[in-house]
Amino acid sequence: MKLKRSYYREYAIITLLLLVLIVLNLILGSVIIPIKDIASALFGSNAPDYVSDIIFSFRIPKLITAIMAGVALSICGLQMQTLFKNPLADPYILGISSGAGLGVAFFVMGFSAFGINLPSSLFVNLGIATSAWIGAFAITLLIMLVSYRLKDNISLLIFGLMLGSAVSALISLFQYFSSSSALKMYVLWTMGSFSGLNPGQIWIMFVLILIGFGLSVYNIKDLNTLLMGEAYAKSLGVNLENTRRRILVATTLLAGSVTAFCGPIGFIGIAVPHIARLFFRNADHKILIPATALLGAVIMVFADTVAQLPGQSGIIPINTVSALIGVPIILVIILKNRFV
Amino acid sequence: MDSVLILENLCLGYNKVIYREINASANKNEIIALVGPNGIGKSTLLKSIAGIQKYRSGAIRVLNRELRSYPPSRLAGQLSFVPSQSPRAKNFSLFDMVATSCYNRTNWLGKISERDYEFIYSTLKRVSLEGFAERDSSQLSDGEFQRAAIARSLVQDSKIILLDEPTAFLDIANKITITRLLKEIAEQENKTIVFSTHDLQHALKICDKIWIMGHNQFFCGEPQSLIEKGAFEQMFKDSSLKFDPKLFTYN
Repeated sequence: MKLKRSYYREYAIITLLLLVLIVLNLILGSVIIPIKDIASALFGSNAPDYVSDIIFSFRIPKLITAIMAGVALSICGLQMQTLFKNPLADPYILGISSGAGLGVAFFVMGFSAFGINLPSSLFVNLGIATSAWIGAFAITLLIMLVSYRLKDNISLLIFGLMLGSAVSALISLFQYFSSSSALKMYVLWTMGSFSGLNPGQIWIMFVLILIGFGLSVYNIKDLNTLLMGEAYAKSLGVNLENTRRRILVATTLLAGSVTAFCGPIGFIGIAVPHIARLFFRNADHKILIPATALLGAVIMVFADTVAQLPGQSGIIPINTVSALIGVPIILVIILKNRFV
Repeated sequence: MDSVLILENLCLGYNKVIYREINASANKNEIIALVGPNGIGKSTLLKSIAGIQKYRSGAIRVLNRELRSYPPSRLAGQLSFVPSQSPRAKNFSLFDMVATSCYNRTNWLGKISERDYEFIYSTLKRVSLEGFAERDSSQLSDGEFQRAAIARSLVQDSKIILLDEPTAFLDIANKITITRLLKEIAEQENKTIVFSTHDLQHALKICDKIWIMGHNQFFCGEPQSLIEKGAFEQMFKDSSLKFDPKLFTYN
């Protein structure tokens, strides 16, 4: 009787693509490392010292960060799109990343505005991550509180948009009064980067994203009922307020953590769920959540690989690459598919 | 005979009163049409009974138990609701769409049991959508989609089914198919069906009872007795509309 089709072929293709990109990502960079040196470094035999050094202390941490960021932002965007019934919803639209931006601006430029010089770089790194997290959480909390009053999702979306604009205005104010070095630090953060995280930070990010991912998987059942409208979901006995809260908490954990450690990375959250829908042609979240997570990893590793292409002359900011990849995809989807 | 659904002095609305003094009842195997002018609150009444919307005062009794004392998941076992226009999700198969109504029987991930598989397929057959299970639900025609929505509430397996204007966007052939189907379901599957409609003529022919939300009074009764009472004359504010008891229409 079971006629349900399986998607092993699709998953296998994407996994294979991910593996190829991972290898490519390890090869490319300021120094091009031949594949056999990478293999010997990974599997323990005698690789040149500089190779294992680059691989283990630079490229692998960066790769892991990129994969986590891709997975987190994409499933975040998927849940937002279903919750708000809006194909263009993602953590950025809801103001969560601008909240993180406000936290960072407060930290980086606030210090300089009061004439305090920032001490060691470790303190700065941790301070940026923590303040971004606090900013993201504060905005999410505000949105949750407002969501008690604003029962319908479109109003909540508009509230998020307005909040984002207000926060941007505040940030510009900070920028106006801050020193040029603090301004540079802030602008660098907004460009996004996967490198420079120490193992401790990667572990923190991993745990936070794992919890967010678990919560997202738990949301699958409710997300599917939301596809058929809120009135129907409610008539099934779904506790909509609870569901909405769970989705928002998962979103802060996922997007907040990525933004805290890597900076605000745009367009991935919107684009990847659409690519998953296009590729899998199934709206069931049991299929879409793993598909979106995998494709998010693929796109992010791809973006990071492209960012390495200049080789010795430097790295392209990750936000530039994600915009160059994301925007055309979003435009094509809008023009061809007329939305979801 | 015990009524499955009883409304007592029900007053609709939350912050402001929308409609007051609704007294009505519904029994097992009955099909009931809810009629009334546009904007009088038919949707609000159905949504209030379904527990989607709060009501102001009075009582709604579902199987001899006050509606407000039901936990939402238990209420979903007694009452199902078909909205007038469900949003359609692209690439959501008909099977998956109907399967969402197993919400209270499935595990945390929503895995469909073997028994529910059979149930969903036999229900699709029941509403003449056999062989459609893997189709994209957003590509169904309006009539097919309405039958799919009915299948969904049958799979929810509630005793009472409420439908908000199930025939509003359909042509005459589809209207008749849907109302016949609802009538059959009420009789054969021991359900109580309440649906709102503007198609008075057809409703009077097939329904056991009519609930009229008149412009200033609520009526509940069998079609013939309501006609004799002159209840239909009081449905609209405009008193120049005269109800024709033979043709079941106004002129």
